[in-house]
Amino acid sequence: MNNGEFSIPLVHNSIGIMTPFLLAGIGGLMTELAGMLNIALEGLILLGAFFSVIFVAGTDSLILGLALGILITIGFSWLFGAVTLYLKANVFITGLATNLLAGGLTTVLAFYLFGTKGVLMFEGLPRLPVLNIPVLHGIPVVGDILFGHNILVYLGWLLVAAAWILIYRTPFGYRLRGTGSNPEALIAAGLKPRRYQMSAILISGFTCGLAGSVLTLNLGAYVPNISSGRGWIALVVIYLGGKTPLGILAASFVFGLAESLSNYAQGYVDIPADFILAFPYLITVVAMTIMSIIKHRKAQ
Amino acid sequence: MILQDRKLGQSMKTIRNRQILASITGLGITLGIAFVVMIAMILIMSETPGRTVYFFFAGPWLNTYYLGNMLNAAVPLILTGLGISFAFRSSMFNLGGEGQVYAGGLAATALCLMLPDLPGILGIPASLLVAITAGALIAGLSGFLKYKWRTDELISSFLLSNALIFIVDNIITGPLHDKDNNLLTTPKIAEQYWFTRIFPPSNLNLSVVFVILLAVIAYFYMFRTHQGYEMRMSGLNPEFARYGGINVSRYFILPMLLSGGFHGLAGAVSVMGTQHMLFKGFSGGMGWNGIAVALIARNHPIAVIPAAVFFAYLDAGAKSAMINSDVTMEIASVVQAVVFFLVTSQVIQHLIKPRRKTA
Repeated sequence: MNNGEFSIPLVHNSIGIMTPFLLAGIGGLMTELAGMLNIALEGLILLGAFFSVIFVAGTDSLILGLALGILITIGFSWLFGAVTLYLKANVFITGLATNLLAGGLTTVLAFYLFGTKGVLMFEGLPRLPVLNIPVLHGIPVVGDILFGHNILVYLGWLLVAAAWILIYRTPFGYRLRGTGSNPEALIAAGLKPRRYQMSAILISGFTCGLAGSVLTLNLGAYVPNISSGRGWIALVVIYLGGKTPLGILAASFVFGLAESLSNYAQGYVDIPADFILAFPYLITVVAMTIMSIIKHRKAQ
Repeated sequence: MILQDRKLGQSMKTIRNRQILASITGLGITLGIAFVVMIAMILIMSETPGRTVYFFFAGPWLNTYYLGNMLNAAVPLILTGLGISFAFRSSMFNLGGEGQVYAGGLAATALCLMLPDLPGILGIPASLLVAITAGALIAGLSGFLKYKWRTDELISSFLLSNALIFIVDNIITGPLHDKDNNLLTTPKIAEQYWFTRIFPPSNLNLSVVFVILLAVIAYFYMFRTHQGYEMRMSGLNPEFARYGGINVSRYFILPMLLSGGFHGLAGAVSVMGTQHMLFKGFSGGMGWNGIAVALIARNHPIAVIPAAVFFAYLDAGAKSAMINSDVTMEIASVVQAVVFFLVTSQVIQHLIKPRRKTA
């Protein structure tokens, strides 16, 4: 087997697979910096996946449908934020509530609208445009790896840069980080930490909506519980990435590569599908433990 | 002096009573909102909303079969609710309930299938024990990682549980699969392992008696023993507990072992009391709902019982509405989500303020 033939599509696929982790990770980073453990990412991705595909199918317009789907996801993140911040509920429990709501509501709505709880197929769904720049695509290896993805992949990269600027180069970013690390100082300066926490939650709604739409619009179908743990992995990506945008980019690539590898392995070795499904969770828990061991050693 | 103490004691008692009152009022508001959401959903989605609402509320009470099954569904929820209460009281977040229930069910089923001729008097305790051990070890691992390296138990317990669910799925459809049918189940366990039914034709069985007894024991352990006190103090205020000479890090592991044990037991009780086999997706929300049950009960072992019955009622009502009308039973998850959203809200809980009355 030619090495390049094997590794180039592998890396190319990893970039596609990592995009939901990356997008959700960027949004989750904002809430993390604002001092909140946002476990609602999982549910928000599912809501984004469901609403963007049904709106794209319903309006027959990629842009309009995507915008509506993401707007609705932001709406749900507002609900999550409002209950947490204004009704002063435990953020961890409201996060669970969001995930439970996402699972229940998508099923209830699918049954109400389409009469099924199973897979929703959409024939002739407008597809995400793929970016191909013929001149650059000709560059060996790099061209093959970096081009030919759908536009949301590149939007993800843009968002990494945008997040970096927002966090480190704007007053909003300083205050956002202050909300997490030193809320008293923020209050003393006459600012409202809740406002920054809410903004962070809304941003996470936006990026999770995008992350979800990548899943369904790529597939042209909605599969129940299509988020399947990606929101949780995004949380781990945030930690593994050292809570920085570039770190998150690197960490999501690692997860993309791991998933891509296990997909390839299926073709060569007879691994039961269940183990492939269990793999991301196991590797994550191992990575987390190793990280805490390193941290523990450093502290001593 | 003594008189003053007594006065203080009395006014403390009134404050406590008012707090309990406020807590109950808050819960009432939460449940009220949840029901409004549910009725709104039914009005929008059902062609025959009157019929749907009727079967949602009345369905579980219509005959002994429905009533018994609803009460029976509360049994594992009491166990998972107790398991979560122990973890939450010690400020340990066990998010892996779903996988622990599943693994407990698997352990019990595997033992029953491997020893089909063991008399029930030996077999039942043995399979309960392996289920408890399986659940305890899985949750205990997260506790141990926290104890050893401060690994976040909230995320590790969730991830381990999710990985386990797939692995158990694989065992059900692989090594333990019932070759005689095409369903994703194991064969039935031998009859001497079945719990005696007490409310035929429903599934309600003897386990309900033992589980209520267990809740009472859990109450005494939590509030009337030294270890229970240390556990609660470590959860309430670790710094203070450490200052008071309590070995706090011990209470990273012990509550997780207990919590996992209760979850494993819930799995075994569902297998031996109700299903008599294991099937794919068997844990069906028992773990998640255990969290809601514990939160509604404010982590109090006795209050867990009515909270579990309430959750079982929601599920039974939704099922009845689905069978007799035109909605899907997942409306129950939406209602449960609303409860989850509001149950920890401090604003709702303090709508009635516990006023300080000068005695």
